[in-house]
Amino acid sequence: MISEQLKKSLQQRVETAITPREAAVDVMKELQRHYGWLTDEAVGEAGELLGLSPLQVEELATFYEKIYRRPVTGKLIQVCDSISCWSGCCDGIIEHLKKRLDVELGGSSADGKFTLVPCCCLGRCGDAPVMVIGETFYGNLTPEKVDQILEKER
Amino acid sequence: MPKLIIDDIEVEVPAGTSVLEAARSVGITIPHFCYHPALAIAAACRLCAVKMLDGPVKGIQMSCALPAQDGMVVSTTDPDALKMRKLVIEWLMINHPHDCPVCDEGGECLLQDFTIAGGHGIRRYQGKKRTHVNQYLGEGIYHEMNRCIQCYRCVRFYQEYAGGTDFGVTGCAGRVYFGRFDDGPLESPFSGNLVDICPTGVFTDKTGRFRARYWDYQYAPSICPHCSAGCNLSPQAYHREVIKIVARRNDEVNGWFICDRARFDKSDLNDPLRPRQALVDGSPVEWEAALNALATRLREFVQSHGADSLALVGSTRLSLEAGILLAELAARYKGVRLCYFIDPAEAQLSLSKVEWVPAGMAASQAELREADFIAILPCDLMEESPMIALAIRQAFVKGAKVYLVAPHLTALNLERLPFQVQVVPELADVPLGEAKRGIVVAGAGFADLKGLEAVPTGVKFVLLQPGPNSFGAALLAREYRAVPLREAIASGKVKGILALETDLPEELRQGLTFFAAADWRNNGAAEPASVFLPTSAWAETGGTWINYEGRAQRYRQAYKTGLPLRGLPARYYGSQEAEPPAHPPRVHRAVAPGGDTRSAWMLVAELIFKLTGEPAAEPYAGKWAPLKHIDPEGPGMRLPAELLAG
Amino acid sequence: MEQVLFRHNRPDRSVTFEEYCAEGGFDALKKALTAMTPDEVQQTVIDSGLRGRGGAGFPTGKKWSFVPRNLPGPRWLICNGDEMEPGTYKDRVLLEKNPFSLIEGVTLASYALGVRHAFIFLRRDYETAAANLQAGIDAAKKAGLLGERILGTEFSCDIDLHLSAGRYICGEETALINALEGKRPNPRQKPPFPAVKGLWGGPTVVNNVETLANVPAIIANGAAWFKGLARNPEGAGTKLFCVSGSVVNPVCIELPIGTPLREIIDQACGGLKPGKKFKACIPGGASTQFLSEAHLDVPMDFDPVVKVGSRLGSGAIIVFDEGHCLVEATLNLIKFFARESCGWCTPCREGLQFVKEILERIERGGGEERDLDLLRDHTRFLSYAFCAFAPGAMSPLDGLLANFEDEVREHITRKRCPLKG
Ligand SMILES: Cc1cc2nc3c(=O)[nH]c(=O)nc-3n(C[C@H](O)[C@H](O)[C@H](O)COP(=O)(O)O)c2cc1C
Ligand code: SF4
Ligand code: SF4
Ligand code: SF4
Ligand code: FES
Ligand code: FES
Repeated sequence: MISEQLKKSLQQRVETAITPREAAVDVMKELQRHYGWLTDEAVGEAGELLGLSPLQVEELATFYEKIYRRPVTGKLIQVCDSISCWSGCCDGIIEHLKKRLDVELGGSSADGKFTLVPCCCLGRCGDAPVMVIGETFYGNLTPEKVDQILEKER
Repeated sequence: MPKLIIDDIEVEVPAGTSVLEAARSVGITIPHFCYHPALAIAAACRLCAVKMLDGPVKGIQMSCALPAQDGMVVSTTDPDALKMRKLVIEWLMINHPHDCPVCDEGGECLLQDFTIAGGHGIRRYQGKKRTHVNQYLGEGIYHEMNRCIQCYRCVRFYQEYAGGTDFGVTGCAGRVYFGRFDDGPLESPFSGNLVDICPTGVFTDKTGRFRARYWDYQYAPSICPHCSAGCNLSPQAYHREVIKIVARRNDEVNGWFICDRARFDKSDLNDPLRPRQALVDGSPVEWEAALNALATRLREFVQSHGADSLALVGSTRLSLEAGILLAELAARYKGVRLCYFIDPAEAQLSLSKVEWVPAGMAASQAELREADFIAILPCDLMEESPMIALAIRQAFVKGAKVYLVAPHLTALNLERLPFQVQVVPELADVPLGEAKRGIVVAGAGFADLKGLEAVPTGVKFVLLQPGPNSFGAALLAREYRAVPLREAIASGKVKGILALETDLPEELRQGLTFFAAADWRNNGAAEPASVFLPTSAWAETGGTWINYEGRAQRYRQAYKTGLPLRGLPARYYGSQEAEPPAHPPRVHRAVAPGGDTRSAWMLVAELIFKLTGEPAAEPYAGKWAPLKHIDPEGPGMRLPAELLAG
Repeated sequence: MEQVLFRHNRPDRSVTFEEYCAEGGFDALKKALTAMTPDEVQQTVIDSGLRGRGGAGFPTGKKWSFVPRNLPGPRWLICNGDEMEPGTYKDRVLLEKNPFSLIEGVTLASYALGVRHAFIFLRRDYETAAANLQAGIDAAKKAGLLGERILGTEFSCDIDLHLSAGRYICGEETALINALEGKRPNPRQKPPFPAVKGLWGGPTVVNNVETLANVPAIIANGAAWFKGLARNPEGAGTKLFCVSGSVVNPVCIELPIGTPLREIIDQACGGLKPGKKFKACIPGGASTQFLSEAHLDVPMDFDPVVKVGSRLGSGAIIVFDEGHCLVEATLNLIKFFARESCGWCTPCREGLQFVKEILERIERGGGEERDLDLLRDHTRFLSYAFCAFAPGAMSPLDGLLANFEDEVREHITRKRCPLKG
């Protein structure tokens, strides 16, 4: 369930849009912020706000990389696996993260603190390899640095 | 009119025609998956590649998305084009299951055809296939997502063409998925068209899966019996059972599609309790004996009670041919009551609708799809004639204004309509004067024809009728001065009835001294009838129906009547007791079990011969002569003015 | 070196509205609104030789001139800040340092095109840039430089910020239009081109962030000045180059267009990392062909880079050293493209899966000689896909086969990756 306040602000976003659909991504992202991921409930709520069926929301939600229709537990760690980061050995970083958190890609750590996913270029290729935890970006990663960051974010 | 050359053939086509369609017009089929004439161009599959040798564009192009232009020189056989098409097939086969033998689409699958045609046979991709989970989509359609080639036809049909919102495409890249949000029956009353429109076996007709292959079917051009819209379809039968019903193209009428009732409701035809045995006083007899009994008893009845005590009753589902012959039979007995309707009100209404619309002012479904102003008088279109609603949607999508005239907004199922309407209290509130191609639509129950007088000239009408041949029955009734059965009975004289493919309310049989019936439908008439003759159903015989707009359409026999092989009773295997063996009976017979029937018109013709000793006249003579040659595969025939005029 | 886009940059923060104005910011807008007709603005941009910085290098003024002038109904301008092509981060740096050039550029372009309502479409993960832009838009609005009757003239213009949820294909202009409309961001069939029928069916111009950010300086200083900024005679203006990979100092830097590739790598970026030797580079983002050592003297401008078999693209230079296996690098790129394909057309959706399988096999040591032909077929026939995504995806493979075929062959003949023990 979303709060009346969030609902109001989303309704307002939809009303100011040129067509309701135009606000779809904004609405989905806000609901995702609220729930941690876009739950089935959120899909229904987005549909109601936008005048779309759940399927029509799903059509949009599942297109985008960063709308999550699977559970995200705790903080989301996205590690870039695109070319510049690859050249800076992101494969090693990803392996290290998997080991440290004892998860597979897409999984959540046992303590529920982190969910790990690979992602496309984050637009910080000069700082490769790069990851983002929540909204905080970390670049020039090394295994040691990753350990420190995890400690801090935990 | 652009002129171009395709494979050395000169072609001239109307502007806006695609190269693919231009090629088609001279008999060249360019392989295609995503192209469908009824849908917007997607240019997604990339199979329709051709090489442009000369003209405004050069090189490999997709012929479905390329408008034909002057000076184009097109090759469909150029090695580059062939290679592209071969690669497209190879790409699609990367993930496709290689198991046509266990796929219900096999034999009628575009992918299968073009894979074979393109010569793809050796697998070079060595990785794993992508797989999907299927969904439960209801009792009509079976879902097998692994067979999908992502041509986007289904979603373009379901959402864009039919206005459905519960089915679509999710995911992206190789993960695109065509389905619902979650398992559950498809909501659109047009969902069955997915079966026809999907080029592969993703959607198959659950009501007839794995019963037969395409080449096993007996089928023929036919017409939907469920309402007066007259949509074209084709029943597909195997061993005397209708397995599937598919849409049949008629650009003037239904276009490419039919509604789910037309497709999935085969219960009447396949009803195991269908009367298939001729009966005299409840006992099984040969057809011929029953006909003799009928002739004798009719004669006796007329002798003892007088012709005016007898009613010959047809219906709005009876073929036009049988209706004409029934009138001929009636003409042999002066004073006999001839009925095509039961209810006086319905008879009156049907006739006034026929007469209301002057020639040329009835709108076809094609005209509906192109209308710019549409006023719907109160009716539940989605219940009555869903395809009319689908036609209106096409106009709506192109920008037509659609009004619903509704003094009280009760039970009109507004949210089910696949288009938006503006609700107005009265017809006068619809600015039909602004219309260039205005159409007024009214349901079968609409009776206030007087109220239509204010409609500006030039506006056309869709006045629906209750039965598939109500229009024809009304014409017959007028021509032969028939009376509605209730009215005849109310006179107090009627003591005997011969009901021909008519669903008679039970109370009308009360107090009769003579009742005989002929029908194929299990409607309870066989048991009380002193003589009962089974007839062949619409799909099992030929005939003509006239739809709401006065379009006469001929249907052909798809298969011969008879008990379906499946479920044949034990007595046909030589023993009443033994379990039916797994093999059909090895008994030679000229007629299939349960197949000793006649079509209604033939029954009447034989009866006329029995009674008079003279052969019945050709039905398409005199006034009806213009209807003699109607091509069952053509658009049908709008009745000429002299037939419409009283 | 003359800085145009980075002129107002502060070392470690964004320039403020006041600072930007004090340094001549919004003067171009004032000049245009008071002393120039929309056509004159467009003509100046045409004369300046400005070419689109989004990748294709289409002349910007010419694109504007395709918009039919007399159609009724709204027309639209969209600034493309999707920037999801791996290796590319120039628009982010630009916007994090200075949102105002873009705001002014969008307003100027809207004036030239008669646009009432413009959109800036930004990718996910550019939240700082987005906040910066929103603050900038608010400040400009407050100062009467945006909104109703700008600077007291008849011209009104609003800018809406639209934040995406992440998909590379959203950067393709017609997919972007669908994304903005809230539809699935599959590209649209062209023609009709967006300039004729785009957003909500109206004429629409789509321009890159860097492209539009150049417009104020062009209007302020004139076309000839802009042309003169280039290093090569046929070029015009400066270019943002964002470098990544095996260099000492991977920077985003503004240099005259036409600056030789070698100079960028050796001087601006301090050369290869210690102990590393140059092997190859991608000159313009993930969808451009690998170049080898032999190409390092190419002037980094649109046409010269095409001449050596690649594209300037977004100006994202990714440098690989001798320790990098280029088959694996290509495989990484293909995996990116296969994952990001919009799934609309067969060659891209399925062909990329095929290419991925072949490259994986070659890298594992299971490659066969015939795979080379199969790969070549793909580079050729994926160009008949529905949009430019698939041909772009094939560019690195194309470059690999053109310039590094020996390396691929070595994988096949030695049945393993030569760089892996
Ligand atoms: C797959 C694909 C992705 C693209 N991504 C971007 C992008 O992120 N930013 C961009 O400005 N242009 C991108 N483009 C190019 C745009 O389609 C368009 O040409 C460009 O925005 C026009 O702007 P310009 O003329 O200023 O270069 C992309 C094109 C393709 C085919
Ligand atoms: S969908 Fe067609 S090609 Fe695929 S298995 Fe079925 S019949 Fe064969
Ligand atoms: S389900 Fe059928 S119609 Fe739909 S995209 Fe797949 S192959 Fe095409
Ligand atoms: S090439 Fe085809 S599948 Fe790939 S992004 Fe373009 S339209 Fe989508
Ligand atoms: S490639 Fe990793 S941030 Fe760009
Ligand atoms: S039929 Fe032309 S691309 Fe599919």
